[in-house]
Amino acid sequence: MWHKISWRLLKHELRRGELTIMAAALVLSVCAVLSLSMFSERLQAGLMERSAEFLAADRVLRSRGGEIPTEWLERAEVEGVASARRVTFNSMAFANGDMALVDVKAVTDGYPLRGHLEIADAPFTQGVVADGLPGRGETWVQGSLFQQLGLALGDELEVGDSTFVVTQVLSHEPDSGFSVFTDSPTVLIHNDDLAATGLIQPGSRVNYNYLFAGEPQALQRFETWLLPQLDSVTQRWQNIQDGDSPLSAALTRAEQFMLLASLLGVVLAATAVAVAAQRYAQRNYDAVAVMKTLGGRTPQIARIFSLHLLLLTAASVAVGVLLGVLLQAVVSWYVSSQLGYELPAAGNGPYLLAIGTGLLCALMFSLYPLLRLMKVPPLRVLRRELTASGLSRWLHWCLAGGTVFLLMVLYSGSVILSFALFVGGILAMLILLGISRLFIRASRQAGMQAGSSWRLAMAGMQRRSRENSLQMLSFSVAVMLFLLVLALRHELLEDWRGQLPDDAPNYFVVNVAGHQVEPMQAMFERESIRATQLYPIIPGRLTAINGTPVRDEVTKEERDDSEYREGFGRELQLTWQRDLPAENTLRAGQWFAPGERGVSVESQVAERIDIGLGDELSFRVGGNEFTVPVTNIRDVDWNTMQPNFFMIFSPELLEDMPATYIASFYLPPDRRPELYQLFRNFPQASLIDVEDILQQVRDVINHVSLAITFVMVLVIAAGGLVLIAQVQASLEERQQELVILRTLGAKSKLLTQAVSYEFIVLGALAGLIATLAMEVSIYVLQTQVFNMPASLHWRFWVLGPVLGAGIVALLGWSVCWRMLRQSTGQLIRKLS
Amino acid sequence: MSLIEAKSISRNVATTAGELQILSTLSVAIEAGEAVAIVGASGSGKSTLLSLLAGLDLPSSGEILIDNVKLNDLDEEQRAILRGEKIGFIFQSFLLIQSLTALENVMLPAELAGAKKPEEQARELLAKVGLGERLTHYPNQLSGGEQQRVAIARAFIGQPQILFADEPTGNLDRKTGALIEDLLFELNREFGTTLIMVTHDERLAQKCDRILRIEDGQILEHADVA
Repeated sequence: MWHKISWRLLKHELRRGELTIMAAALVLSVCAVLSLSMFSERLQAGLMERSAEFLAADRVLRSRGGEIPTEWLERAEVEGVASARRVTFNSMAFANGDMALVDVKAVTDGYPLRGHLEIADAPFTQGVVADGLPGRGETWVQGSLFQQLGLALGDELEVGDSTFVVTQVLSHEPDSGFSVFTDSPTVLIHNDDLAATGLIQPGSRVNYNYLFAGEPQALQRFETWLLPQLDSVTQRWQNIQDGDSPLSAALTRAEQFMLLASLLGVVLAATAVAVAAQRYAQRNYDAVAVMKTLGGRTPQIARIFSLHLLLLTAASVAVGVLLGVLLQAVVSWYVSSQLGYELPAAGNGPYLLAIGTGLLCALMFSLYPLLRLMKVPPLRVLRRELTASGLSRWLHWCLAGGTVFLLMVLYSGSVILSFALFVGGILAMLILLGISRLFIRASRQAGMQAGSSWRLAMAGMQRRSRENSLQMLSFSVAVMLFLLVLALRHELLEDWRGQLPDDAPNYFVVNVAGHQVEPMQAMFERESIRATQLYPIIPGRLTAINGTPVRDEVTKEERDDSEYREGFGRELQLTWQRDLPAENTLRAGQWFAPGERGVSVESQVAERIDIGLGDELSFRVGGNEFTVPVTNIRDVDWNTMQPNFFMIFSPELLEDMPATYIASFYLPPDRRPELYQLFRNFPQASLIDVEDILQQVRDVINHVSLAITFVMVLVIAAGGLVLIAQVQASLEERQQELVILRTLGAKSKLLTQAVSYEFIVLGALAGLIATLAMEVSIYVLQTQVFNMPASLHWRFWVLGPVLGAGIVALLGWSVCWRMLRQSTGQLIRKLS
Repeated sequence: MSLIEAKSISRNVATTAGELQILSTLSVAIEAGEAVAIVGASGSGKSTLLSLLAGLDLPSSGEILIDNVKLNDLDEEQRAILRGEKIGFIFQSFLLIQSLTALENVMLPAELAGAKKPEEQARELLAKVGLGERLTHYPNQLSGGEQQRVAIARAFIGQPQILFADEPTGNLDRKTGALIEDLLFELNREFGTTLIMVTHDERLAQKCDRILRIEDGQILEHADVA
């Protein structure tokens, strides 16, 4: 019989809108978690897929020490990880009686494992996706080699002992990378043709790269097996999130943002459930007292209300799942259409997480209110002031706190991070609580001098100062999270946009001869092309630091390692400059004084090889050897598409040495066909097209921007729900007072005004506190989590209070207005 | 043997100003089928007496027996069962469950007691109180008088031996109050119920068989109504 009562209560209460907030909070938390985790899983997979193109694989094993044991590749196959090999080295190539330094790339079938090759019929034209690799005896070469050697399709190209027929222009390689100095034009051949060239000899400088791709778990297993066996000197294991990938910072930040924001969203939704559950229980005090009076036993009533809640939860979770799937489908569809490719599908994880979250929230947050509800004495039917007693509020705090903590662990997967956030959150809330009480007390003083609506509002605030400070706390938290997500999103997007503006240089020109510097500058000017200055480049080697020779691979085996310091182990591209380049900032020391001899070192390099101001560095450049002191240390932003240098010398040292020059410039994509014509007069210069790479980076950033916008919308919805739940709950508390005032003849207008004023003050104070808390949180997040420079957000100091006052007052006014629309008689009846 | 018997009951409550005695060593016996009015000024302790006699609360000292069952020996759950079996209630503020319809409110006690065909009984009773056409209305769609009629129907559905009424017409205008009184006494007679009613209204009290006048926690007068 009791289940019928349960069902009936649910049916009617749903119809009458009594459960709307509770159901909405549950629906939102499930919907948010599901759509968010599903979407972020799909997006992450998409991102990884996209980013993996930079490597042409999910993981790359770089080996400078020759081939790796075949059993490693066999192991990969056993684990279900696909592999391919890419061998690269520099060599001379000959055609039409001319020669050029090229980058030979010999690849096995399957390459590239991620991304694709594009080929074209003419240099510098739009390519099409290649199906497979060059055939035996064939080669695909980059456009700039066509320019250098005057090639045409069908020409023969000699490399080592072999002759290849040029069958295609290689217009795009996923793994072309950023390094402009080492980039001679690529000559792509099949691995089967490699041995015949006779270029792989003992001692020749060859890079063996092994590419791997597969399911994350399979990769993880393989990685665990492989890593302990690697030789740390000659072998390096690389994935897209490694520091030297241009996207790693953006990806890591985005991941952290998503995690943080979804955590906040869920905590907000959980808060809404908690507030709603509390209100739900309070509303049913009378019903329970009546049932007990009429002979209902506590276990029977407990069953009625438990089933009631269970049905509500089940229905809300189901609706939440449905909406979540729908929402993420719409968002994914939109994102896919923006990005031009389909996002990979998600697994079952998000469903479990979402349903688990819904059930956990409903169970844990309604347990205490429900237990309290069961404690309502039947005597309440005669003595209306009686409520539940005998249950410690600590139980409530423990249950709520435990649930939030559990959710945090579920989401972040890290107990330590959750603990830090949790303890930080509690401390912040206690401080906020203190501040809000102070504010409320102060506002009482101010209100006494104002008109009657204001006086009524302030008196009300003061009387309910305990409830109000709790309410203000939840208003503040909701507004703060809202502001936090808004500000962080803005910061991240600005940061990314700043790094890669739309007109970031998309071409490099290298190998410019000294006598062509002026004509080239003139050409840039004439054609209105925005270019960097032309930097001289002189190849050289670092030979000693403070008199101690640095290790060089070639001589490594002849002497004991301990006699050496860490160096570069390769040739460096050196330059000289009279002034500090625009994109660089000095970290230590002074820029060269006129006539001073010295070298300026990039800060990360200085750290890596352990050198500081005043250290003496010895270089060999051409036939000369010289030693100079380190005059200053520079920070360089490697994400800018500018020529950047580890070592910059004062002019006196290198000015007179023979140099080639380099610059980068921006050419709008629609002017691409002009390239050939523009550079026809500079036959020795080579062009490197980084438009593809830029586009790839922008794609990824667009992905991430869309994702965080989506997350932001969900957090705002969750915050809004908390506000609605809280306003509704607090207005119910004031209902009696309003009815009395109304009965005493107070006009609706006065009452709605008083309520609105009270909420305006509450909202504005909450907004102010929220802004303060937001600034502190952002400071901590920016400096500790996102590794960004900290900043103040003045606009939010206006936005916060205005937004808080506006939203809270509007909600308060609308609920109050709806309440006062009923006749006084109706209201009294409702109250009694 | 009386149906309800209170022997030297006292009820004290703790307040900030110290212990306050609301009822002191009060004894009363009520026979089956009697209609008893408890009257007295505000704060005299009449509602407290009602709550003790109905088993909603326990006395600080003394004992209460209903149908020979000693309430002091029963826990909250057992008292609830006893109320479900033997007692009906009508309150000044009606205390209908807002999210249930008139019909469902009336069915509720029968359902809680596991009665068969509660709906049929409830329909009959609602027809009897003149609300046969308003079964699916929610309490806030009914007037005060109508709500009290629903409450009366709810009180009688379990065919209780005893009916407790706390100011049943206190929230109603004189005319509606009179109609409710008539209905209450009519049903009381029909079902042979023992009625114990707290009221301010002397006129209403006069309709009962006996009046207990309470002052300062003690019975000032047992008066039989002629």
